[in-house]
Amino acid sequence: MKIAVSGIGIVSCLGIGMEANRAAISRQESGIVPKSRFLSAPSAFPVGEVPFCNADLALRAGLGERCLYSRTALLGILAVQEALADSGEGKDLRTGLVSGTSVGGMDRTEVFYADYLSDPAHGRLRDVAMHDCAASTLAIARHCGIEGYTTTISTACSSAANAILAAARLIRCGIADRVVAGGTDVLSLFTLGGFGSLMILDKKPCRPFDADRAGLNLGEGAGYIVLQREDTLQKEPYAYFAGGENANDAYHQTASSATGEGCYKAMHDTLRKAGVAASQIDYVNAHGTGTLNNDLSESRALCRLFGDKVPPFSSTKGFTGHTLAAAGGIEAVFSVEALRRGVIYPNLNFFRPMEETGLVPVTESREAPLRYVLSNSLGFGGNCTALLFSKN
Amino acid sequence: MCYIEAVATHLNLTHDIKEVVPDATLRRRMSRIVKMATAAAFECTGGVQGIAALDAIVTATGLGCLTDSERFLEQIHRTGGQMLNPTPFIQSTFNTVGAQIALLAKNRCYNMTYVHRSRSFESALTDAMLQLKEGDARRVLAGAFDENTPTQHHIMERMGFWRKAEDGEGAVFTLLTAEATANSMARVSRVEFLSSPLSEQQCRERYATCSDGQVWRSLDKTVYPCRSALRFAEAVEEVRKGVPEIVVYNEYFGKEPTVIVLQCL
Repeated sequence: MKIAVSGIGIVSCLGIGMEANRAAISRQESGIVPKSRFLSAPSAFPVGEVPFCNADLALRAGLGERCLYSRTALLGILAVQEALADSGEGKDLRTGLVSGTSVGGMDRTEVFYADYLSDPAHGRLRDVAMHDCAASTLAIARHCGIEGYTTTISTACSSAANAILAAARLIRCGIADRVVAGGTDVLSLFTLGGFGSLMILDKKPCRPFDADRAGLNLGEGAGYIVLQREDTLQKEPYAYFAGGENANDAYHQTASSATGEGCYKAMHDTLRKAGVAASQIDYVNAHGTGTLNNDLSESRALCRLFGDKVPPFSSTKGFTGHTLAAAGGIEAVFSVEALRRGVIYPNLNFFRPMEETGLVPVTESREAPLRYVLSNSLGFGGNCTALLFSKN
Repeated sequence: MCYIEAVATHLNLTHDIKEVVPDATLRRRMSRIVKMATAAAFECTGGVQGIAALDAIVTATGLGCLTDSERFLEQIHRTGGQMLNPTPFIQSTFNTVGAQIALLAKNRCYNMTYVHRSRSFESALTDAMLQLKEGDARRVLAGAFDENTPTQHHIMERMGFWRKAEDGEGAVFTLLTAEATANSMARVSRVEFLSSPLSEQQCRERYATCSDGQVWRSLDKTVYPCRSALRFAEAVEEVRKGVPEIVVYNEYFGKEPTVIVLQCL
């Protein structure tokens, strides 16, 4: 059974919708800014923040500006609306939703919690009502009219990629005809504090794969693709889902193994199952967060899989920041766009290859006929996922 | 359809946590729920060798590792986000338990975590069954856990949740196989998400396949997101003892109904 990608939807710091994102990337303009405008307390680190307040987002999503949905839900709704509209009406199809998130409604919970800690009778309950991860998924399904199988995945930074894997399985097994899959996450003091405490936030714009990289920039956003059984398509699809695998690094709760075992296994198993040779991969959208540990580990996995013929690769996190659970969705959207338009997105802020591998990513936007694109997502808990998309 | 080879819950743990997680530093960093859930997984698989033999690990939680989430929020509030201890942040991640299980045996297999409120366990069960069906896996560990904290209890009390219900917590793991084995206890024939609640009669009409089976429709007062996993474990035990079929119906504060159908071999 062939599974096609019939729609894409994206919200990132580059803007709302694919057009805004494409325009910014073609101008090589990063969306990362020195300071957050909307966080409830200041942060010293640059962020990839979606440049609209919650009331604006709600209005754009067709909700009242006094809507109490979490920002996570609002970003998700905007991206899913775009993806579904792009895919076509499909009213006779059983449409499902698999959404990834790592923070859920944490951005509102931390506002609540500050008041709650001063007095347990304080704190507005509506701020904590959407705390759990399922709340954003259920709000998206309700607002976008999705009535089929709906669930939520949270495996840290590989959540959205895993949602896409789960969606493909639901279609293969006949549980849905079409599934919107991806993820949504927002900036929060919780994650800024968390990654800050691990000393992996860069005070400057992140430099994925560069020898002098010094950490990641947190971002926020949502990215979803519509996977659909080929015989139900209403229009020419953008690309096909050619496979994907999840593997565990089984090395450490947060750090990646120096040899990138999990990442290697995820990529390797994906190619093997899909029956695609390493030499057929035309582009890799790498995880490439900009941390010392991730980029070295991922580079080693790439070298191990591809030998001295590592295909053109880049990390798009210099544009969007690391959007955590949404990253795999946003990067799936970019991977599909790459296949559709025959273009490889550049890796920003790269100056000098790391000594250990000497790998050099694509640094200028490049046109090329692409057949197979691989996208990596690697998360805490050693969670590694590779997705493979094909032109035909 | 899949077969149940083992079930373990937080109520029947026989191994000391020191045996489950020999590394004292690691153990000290683990919260109560992470220890409880990891121990249940260890119990269910029979230990490190059992974990090493798994083809997939699928965990589920409604609210995740709440104690660590709360500890980290408190730190941020107290310090303004400076000089934070990262341990509670690391441990608060929803896939912490799944990762810890993999780490115990360095098992690099498929590792997934569902966080879909009261349908988390059913989502994990569905994922496990589909993997077995597709032949991607032959032995899958699926489980669910949720912890009760004073803060969570109090916030939900302010929201009015405990007027008719009581809070709870627990950890349940089950070992599922594609084929029946000498150790199989029961089989799962269906896992369904329902769009609206069903009466006992409706459950029977829609899901029962034999007249001498049971329908577990009445719910007690205990409510927490992964409560259905414990009812699943109880039903497996009854089927193992000889009840031919049990239709286990669940809902969460009257919403999000699900059905799991268990049958004897």
